[in-house]
Amino acid sequence: MIHLTVNGTSHALDVQPDVPLLYVLRNDLQLNGPKYGCGLGECGACTVLVDGIAARSCVIPLGIMAGRSVTTLEGLGTPEALHPVQQAFIDAQAAQCGYCLNGMIMTVTALLNRNPSPNDTEIRAELRGNLCRCGAHVEILRAAHRAATLVRRDRAA
Amino acid sequence: MLHARDALTRDGVLLIYLPPHGGGPIQEEPAAAGPQQPDDEVEVFLVVDRDGFVTGYNGHVDLGTGIGTALGQIVAEELDVAFEHVRIVLGESDKAPNQGATIASETIQVTAIPLRQAAAQARRHLISLAAERLDVRIDELDVENGVARRRDGGNASVSYAELLRDGHIRLALDPTVPLKATAHYRVVGQRQPRIDIPAKATGQFTYVHDVRLPGMLHGRVVRPPYAGLDAGEFVGNSLVAVDRTSIAHVPGLIAVVVIRDFVGVVAEREEQAVEAAAKLRLEWKTWPGLSDLDRPEQTLRAASSRPRVLLDEGGSAEAIAAAAQPMRRTYVWPYQMHGSIGPSCSVADFRQDGLTVWSGTQNPRMLVTDLARLLDLPEERIAIVRHEAAGCYGRNCADDVGADAALLSRAVGRPVRVQLSREQEHAWEPKGAAQVMDVGGGLDAEGRPVAYDFATRYPSNAAPTLALLLTGTIPAVPNVLQMGDRTAIPPYLYPKRRVVVHDMAPIVRASWLRGVSAMPNSFAHESFVDELATAAGVDPVAYRLRHLDDTRAIDLIKTVAEKAGWVPRTGPQSLPPDGDVLHGRGFAYAVYVHGTFPGTAAAWSAWVADVSVNRTTGDVVLSRVVVGQDSGLMINPAGVEHQIHGNVIQSTSRVLKEQVTFDRTGVTSREWGGYPILTFPEVPAIDVVMVPRPDEPPLGVGESASVPSAAAIANAIFDATGVRFREPPFTPDRILAALNPLPPPAKISSGDFSPVATVPRSQKPWRRWFGLVGAAMAGGLGVAMAMLPGRGMIAPITRPDPSVYAAATLARGRAVAALGNCFGCHLGPDGTALAGGHALATPFGTVYATNITPDPFAGIGAWSYPAFERAMREGLSRDGHHLYPAHPYTAFTRSSDADLQSLYAYLMAQPALAHVPPRTRLHFPFNLRPLLAAWNTLFLRSGTLAPDPSRSEAWNRGRELVEGLGHCSACHSPRNALGAEQGGEAHLAGAVVDGWEAPALTNLSKSPVPWTEAEFYSYLSTGHAPLHGVAAGPMTAVVAELRVVPDSDRRAMATYLASLQTSSLPQPQAESLAGTLLVRTAGISPEATAAGERIYAGACATCHEPNGPALFGARPLLALNTSVHSARPDNLIHVVLDGIATPAHPDLGAMPGFAGSFSDIQVADLLRYIRARFAPAEPAWENLDSNVARIRAGDNHS
Ligand code: FES
Ligand code: FES
Repeated sequence: MIHLTVNGTSHALDVQPDVPLLYVLRNDLQLNGPKYGCGLGECGACTVLVDGIAARSCVIPLGIMAGRSVTTLEGLGTPEALHPVQQAFIDAQAAQCGYCLNGMIMTVTALLNRNPSPNDTEIRAELRGNLCRCGAHVEILRAAHRAATLVRRDRAA
Repeated sequence: MLHARDALTRDGVLLIYLPPHGGGPIQEEPAAAGPQQPDDEVEVFLVVDRDGFVTGYNGHVDLGTGIGTALGQIVAEELDVAFEHVRIVLGESDKAPNQGATIASETIQVTAIPLRQAAAQARRHLISLAAERLDVRIDELDVENGVARRRDGGNASVSYAELLRDGHIRLALDPTVPLKATAHYRVVGQRQPRIDIPAKATGQFTYVHDVRLPGMLHGRVVRPPYAGLDAGEFVGNSLVAVDRTSIAHVPGLIAVVVIRDFVGVVAEREEQAVEAAAKLRLEWKTWPGLSDLDRPEQTLRAASSRPRVLLDEGGSAEAIAAAAQPMRRTYVWPYQMHGSIGPSCSVADFRQDGLTVWSGTQNPRMLVTDLARLLDLPEERIAIVRHEAAGCYGRNCADDVGADAALLSRAVGRPVRVQLSREQEHAWEPKGAAQVMDVGGGLDAEGRPVAYDFATRYPSNAAPTLALLLTGTIPAVPNVLQMGDRTAIPPYLYPKRRVVVHDMAPIVRASWLRGVSAMPNSFAHESFVDELATAAGVDPVAYRLRHLDDTRAIDLIKTVAEKAGWVPRTGPQSLPPDGDVLHGRGFAYAVYVHGTFPGTAAAWSAWVADVSVNRTTGDVVLSRVVVGQDSGLMINPAGVEHQIHGNVIQSTSRVLKEQVTFDRTGVTSREWGGYPILTFPEVPAIDVVMVPRPDEPPLGVGESASVPSAAAIANAIFDATGVRFREPPFTPDRILAALNPLPPPAKISSGDFSPVATVPRSQKPWRRWFGLVGAAMAGGLGVAMAMLPGRGMIAPITRPDPSVYAAATLARGRAVAALGNCFGCHLGPDGTALAGGHALATPFGTVYATNITPDPFAGIGAWSYPAFERAMREGLSRDGHHLYPAHPYTAFTRSSDADLQSLYAYLMAQPALAHVPPRTRLHFPFNLRPLLAAWNTLFLRSGTLAPDPSRSEAWNRGRELVEGLGHCSACHSPRNALGAEQGGEAHLAGAVVDGWEAPALTNLSKSPVPWTEAEFYSYLSTGHAPLHGVAAGPMTAVVAELRVVPDSDRRAMATYLASLQTSSLPQPQAESLAGTLLVRTAGISPEATAAGERIYAGACATCHEPNGPALFGARPLLALNTSVHSARPDNLIHVVLDGIATPAHPDLGAMPGFAGSFSDIQVADLLRYIRARFAPAEPAWENLDSNVARIRAGDNHS
């Protein structure tokens, strides 16, 4: 049994420790936010937060997650109660197919956890390893800037 | 969601349908009339129902462009209902209209027309019902939000919903109903937020990847070795044998499905299917192999083709021959990929009564046809449920995986989900074809063009669904599709035009990709016109305008040039450089013509590109693009703008970076390192100019803005450098090669590939040890040695009662066991602790670790402490026989009595396991254990070390642990001629064990920053020394075990190890040296390692670059890494191929292995780059290719 917390709920999982976290989240916990893109840590589609830090769930064996807290896209917010980063991505219409969207939102969230006022260069550097084939980059960058504003506003409030 | 089929049987609806065989004459039926057409033959376009909702059906699908939103706007507009009350159902195969594949930006331009017509017709019918109900004339009514009201302000009103309370109204589509005038538009033309984004941003959206069915199993396919080839005798005929036993042990395995070259596995869980697919052993025939496609021009020219003359005005050859300046140019386009971010996925459920496939297909109808053929089923029994997938921009593997899932589901009788791997999607997706364009032309004395002779070659077709070929259902004969003619006619008013397309069968699997053949063709047209302008000494924009008569094109070009602040010029290099950085600006214009020749024009597009080119590195930066588009009426301007952005970014990526690579076996670009795409820091500023044309029909916008990209960028690079580039991608190595012709790299001779014979042979200790003993035997010495007896048996005892041991003793014993790595070597089957059986493979046979649990028979339960101590200090078993020095008693002998006693206690307190490990049986003469007595006489120095009073207690303890229980020297010391560890200088000076280099722990370390006590401590505690690297290979388990060791012991070991460094540095200085190295190597861009640099950037940089994104886990910096600086590449090769699956400490995160993703050549390229950039002071590694092949083959005996 491996114990971990996902989106605030604790789980005891009877799964081999070498199974990638991504499969556990998607198949055992039926969470659709994290996506399989490459399985090699190259594209960012599978990004989740582990104790608040961005993590590529496709290359993380479940075993090393024991006792940790994982947040997926679903855990940030819902359509009724959006997280400010999700709100910003919707406001900026920052997706085409949206397959990369999970990774973009989670990576920006992790960045803003660390640095609530990133500049454009910092945002681009942080997203360097998040690939988008549709070319939604312009809207995603706008969303990231807007997210920073919303997050700061939220914190001030 | 209302399915089209269900609507046919519902009450309270108004339904517009297409009768069989098209619209035909108007045949409006009386309201509430019963169905006149049999339900099976109609296609439903639109349903208005009594809930006030409207559902529109379109045969196309959303490929990630938000097309559903635009269609919803069209329906809302014509029907005068609120946008929020419209649902659009795309790509349903059952009763929805069949409108062919979603290609060529046709959705809005072509297939939306009947939907709009249907909406207008529904409104007309409803308003006439309303007039009847309210007893007014139709022209006295207004409709807003689905409610009809008297225009004169009277109170009477009725809603569509109320009009549809009962009955079932069914109308045949009437193409003559008048449409709303654009002047009255309220919804169309407004920026409308996409309806799908909130669900996508919160994880609530169901992509095809997210479909789950009760009882669903997981499948994976195993593709043949001819990666990405789909034509030829060998396709479907190459599988020789399947070794099912190779995966019999995989848990949860349900089935292995083999039909000729189609191979799939099905398992309960996804990771089980992955494991089975990876481990299944298959034997394939050899096949002819592929000719060189990395520079495709010659291959395309050599392949057979059929010329098709699209246009010949006559006299072009003569005109060119007579020109004042004749010009002949060739432009070449590389193979490229769709590169969907999500590899294709599908779920299939095959039952007695039929098949349902959940699919991200571009063309549900075609998939039905393919599945019917593949499974020999009638088409009516196949249903496709279309879900969105990752954006595909053309034909990717979506249909392939649907067919794969169907075959697997049929085999197991349950629903099966198949997910292709990244490598499979990359290797097998039908590629965007390479293309060769030859242009002939020239100028007369006045600088006017004399003729245009254009020929293009495009080897591509519709890429038949793979399973049909692999199973031999259809023959793998390449058919020819006439799709090379998109935008083949130049847009300019050239005299004497001749345009020929050489239709060709594919060379590798290829099909349409965004801007199908038009993007390459326009690259040639728009580069050539630029070349003409330069030759004529005329500004390139002015020259274009001079030779155009299309007023919308002229308007667009002028608008874009003005917006960009275009400054007319007559030659290149008009902008001042900044040192080594040259600046340039280029223009291009194109209209994307799609569909069967002569085709239909989609939106017009024009680009102004600003680039800077670094003369010393070859880097091209696209800093800004001004892009203009005339799209006719824009349904959703926000969607159009988004499409333009997407096209600019994706096409920039294609032009600057993208090219599929091949070797003789097929496609070698199998992940994002081998096929890099544009990243955020490279995204240019984009200014979009949208020409308003509300009165013109809407045009497709999905591809147009890609088409001018390559020429605009090439023209800008020409402006910057004065050098013309005619073959994308414009990568730094190509730019550099053209700007500063360098001597060609020394050709690698075949001698360089000669196998390991030239590698310095540093044998692994076991082989040397055994080898020497064997030699001694041969010399006759052995006979005498063999006579030396052991020293007798120690009497058995009853297993001590574990309850006599104090908890503290047991805890200490646990730590001692960890220090001695007892668990690692004495591992039992299925990971049971200490039960033995772990095999140490040697060329002379296998040494099996023994059971050291307290079982009296199988283990050491009958051993007294003296027997145990003798084994630890002298290498004798209780019964007196010699243990092989695989058991490191030469080191253990240094342990303190207290440590050995607590270890004994700990072992005796463990559960007794009766497991009997296999006996070690070595080949003669190595099976003669008594030989060891002689060896021990020579090399075993029994007993503890006397404490050194001049040193601290910690140092003495550290020495005892490092030299004793820790037996570090067993791996880290080289061995002498008789296989014993060397002392003196050589002690802990590094060695190779089991194919891994155990690096020097002394000053001989190759690490660029000297080891410090803090670094050793960090490494031993966490497996990560920030200034040196992370534990990999055999060290991960060693360090992981040390976590139970008292902190003071780890510190003591660090103290002792640091004392071995004669030139250590204080920690702050070590850190500042590391900082200097990081800065120095950040700027190094080694020459001649371009391929490796690309792989590094795509596959490694995210986790290893000093300034990469903050990610969970360690960030090992290669400029400091011990393995990168070693004399041998072995450790690095191991780590690249196999990754670090189980880290020494959970905080380090894991590293994926790339063995399944990279070819040997790619690993070698990558390592060459890493070495050159991060260890610039070290010599290049030699024979990397063959070393990678050797280590991949599992040959650790170098
Ligand atoms: S799927 Fe994890 S990084 Fe690509
Ligand atoms: S929106 Fe499709 S991959 Fe980013």
